[in-house]
Amino acid sequence: MLQLLLIATRNLVQQRRRTLLLGGAIGGVTALLVILIELSTGLRSTILRSATTLMTGHVNVAGFYKITAGQSAPVVTQYEKVLGIVQRTVPELDYIVERGRGWAKVISDTGSVQIGIGGVDIQHEPGLHKVLRISKGKLDDLAQPNTILIFEEQAEKLGVTVGDTLTLSAPTTRGTNNTLDVQVVAIARNLGLLSAFNAFIPVGSLRALYQFREDTTGALMLYLKQQEPSAKLVNDVHARLRNALEKAGYALMDHDNKPFWQKFESVNREDWTGQKLDVTNWDDEISFVMYTVTALDVLTGVLTFVLLVIIAVGVMNTMWIAIRERTREVGTLRAIGMQRSRVLWMFVTEAFVLGLSATALGAVTGMIICGLLNAAQISVPTGVRLFLMSDKLTLLIDPLKIALSVAFITFCTSAISLIPSLLAARMKPITAMHYIG
Amino acid sequence: MRFPVRLLLSILVLSALLPARLAHSALSKEQMHEMLNTLDDRQRNNGDYKALVYLEQKEKDKTDIVREAIVYRRSADQKLMILFSKPKSEQGKGYLRLEKNLWSYDPNVGKWERRTERERIAGTDSRRADFDESRLAEEYEPSDEGEDKLGAYSVHRLSLKVKEGVDVAFPLVKLWVDNGTMNILKRQEFALSGKLMRTLYYPRWQKLYSESKQGDFWYPPEIRIYDEVEKANSTIVLIKTVDLRSLETNIFTKAWFESKSR
Repeated sequence: MLQLLLIATRNLVQQRRRTLLLGGAIGGVTALLVILIELSTGLRSTILRSATTLMTGHVNVAGFYKITAGQSAPVVTQYEKVLGIVQRTVPELDYIVERGRGWAKVISDTGSVQIGIGGVDIQHEPGLHKVLRISKGKLDDLAQPNTILIFEEQAEKLGVTVGDTLTLSAPTTRGTNNTLDVQVVAIARNLGLLSAFNAFIPVGSLRALYQFREDTTGALMLYLKQQEPSAKLVNDVHARLRNALEKAGYALMDHDNKPFWQKFESVNREDWTGQKLDVTNWDDEISFVMYTVTALDVLTGVLTFVLLVIIAVGVMNTMWIAIRERTREVGTLRAIGMQRSRVLWMFVTEAFVLGLSATALGAVTGMIICGLLNAAQISVPTGVRLFLMSDKLTLLIDPLKIALSVAFITFCTSAISLIPSLLAARMKPITAMHYIG
Repeated sequence: MRFPVRLLLSILVLSALLPARLAHSALSKEQMHEMLNTLDDRQRNNGDYKALVYLEQKEKDKTDIVREAIVYRRSADQKLMILFSKPKSEQGKGYLRLEKNLWSYDPNVGKWERRTERERIAGTDSRRADFDESRLAEEYEPSDEGEDKLGAYSVHRLSLKVKEGVDVAFPLVKLWVDNGTMNILKRQEFALSGKLMRTLYYPRWQKLYSESKQGDFWYPPEIRIYDEVEKANSTIVLIKTVDLRSLETNIFTKAWFESKSR
């Protein structure tokens, strides 16, 4: 084996120009793949971190209350009882956030926007302090009643700054429009799509706007001790909660992989009144933004496939050339007793060595580029920001994924070399020795 | 050594101005409260009030609109009602203030909607407080800004900040009060951020004898309101035929309003 490795390496060194060209192509593809993987990982991580703070817990207990069959409100009534059950059922719990949910027209003196309003108790929202980057005002001022936190793009659209007043207008569950004046106390930096549709007011003010009782909330957001819990753990907690709530006599909605605001239509069509609880996971609530990650993954896959095909053709061609050039050498080797399988492995090993060294080098280059891009703190344009959920380009290194990419590309280059290698191995020694190339 | 003539002139001008400025400024807190109470009291009727009002709205790139409305007020329980009668599209629409809640009614949808103090009355630059009794002393804490000139008038300037827990359209207000008549001549309203939102001018004041008050009742027949955010927008409020006789007892109800809206 060592002999084969030595022959392969010597051959590669001897054909320096060809090796550099092909190795460069393989390395380039690997580097590109690594960058795309790191971008996708960074995007997923940013979305998870931002969304699980702004819009959802790892697991949520929410629901709808219907006064009449056709009119629903996204609330959990008498939530303290539900809270007790949750606390008893989920020992993995880090903390719970009680979050009001609403959708209101926000009116300034120069414009208006329709956005989702989250009712928060800022003193019990550790996640918001970590995720939101405040550009003006103070986040803790959200503890004062009738205040609001908006994002930069909303502030720009509405033409307001900290200290200005906005009017919120929303229909109550009885159908009457109610309004509330709120003072802007903080403006946060944009967080892509999520910040375009979200603003926060104190939960008491949200109750006042919708005329909800004190024991009513929008959702109980459960944050588990693991910062990025596995899907298995989340599903396990989800199933346990459903069981416990059903046992406690609560009516539960069927699991639907949609955010709460996409469920109004179907809930209003259903023929029931009163309270129904809805247990959801984080990926249900942000399914509408996860398409960006899926799209990037698909793009990575397609791009990798196309580049791999090009590389495969390149590798195969190069091997053909190498075999043609070395036909007499193959004949001599076969004549002095080298087995067909050894000839086969000789060429495959050459492709393997080329593939492994080029992909390894490509992966390292890709990681260095990602590191430099991260260090440069590159601001992305507004359009891209929408999908990146961040104003800065963030790439996250996932060693396992990178190792798998290196292995996959090396495997592909080695596998593709099997065809010319097989043909080389099948050559008769006498014919090969008389070959004039 | 040359004597600095400019410096000498500056010193002379300053020394001439400074004593006059000092002599008129710095009202005590009691004096300022007294001033606000006087301003409120002059515009208070201590009874019922009915007036025909015209609102002339000017908006950038839009045709001017004139609305006609009747304003009803009752001092005893701070009730207010604005019922629009013209143009036809606005007929029957209006506002009713009950227990510090401002309700808006649109006969086309037949629904009441609760509005805040910042509500633009019928979409104009006017606010509820422009039609209601003056409650400056109750709602604001004053600070003195001294004497000033407003055109030919000698005025006293007051800066007002809303008291905690009081709901008003604008938390910061500046007033120009005529020293001779104690009429408000100019009013500027600000957001808490300090942004100027509206400027109001009261070019004329009229008085009526009020039976319920047993004294004079003052009102501005014309208010010119300038939107300082959308600079080209303005509204003129004309208050006509003020009637201080008692109104029907049950007038300030949603049922009465709806009956008039049909």
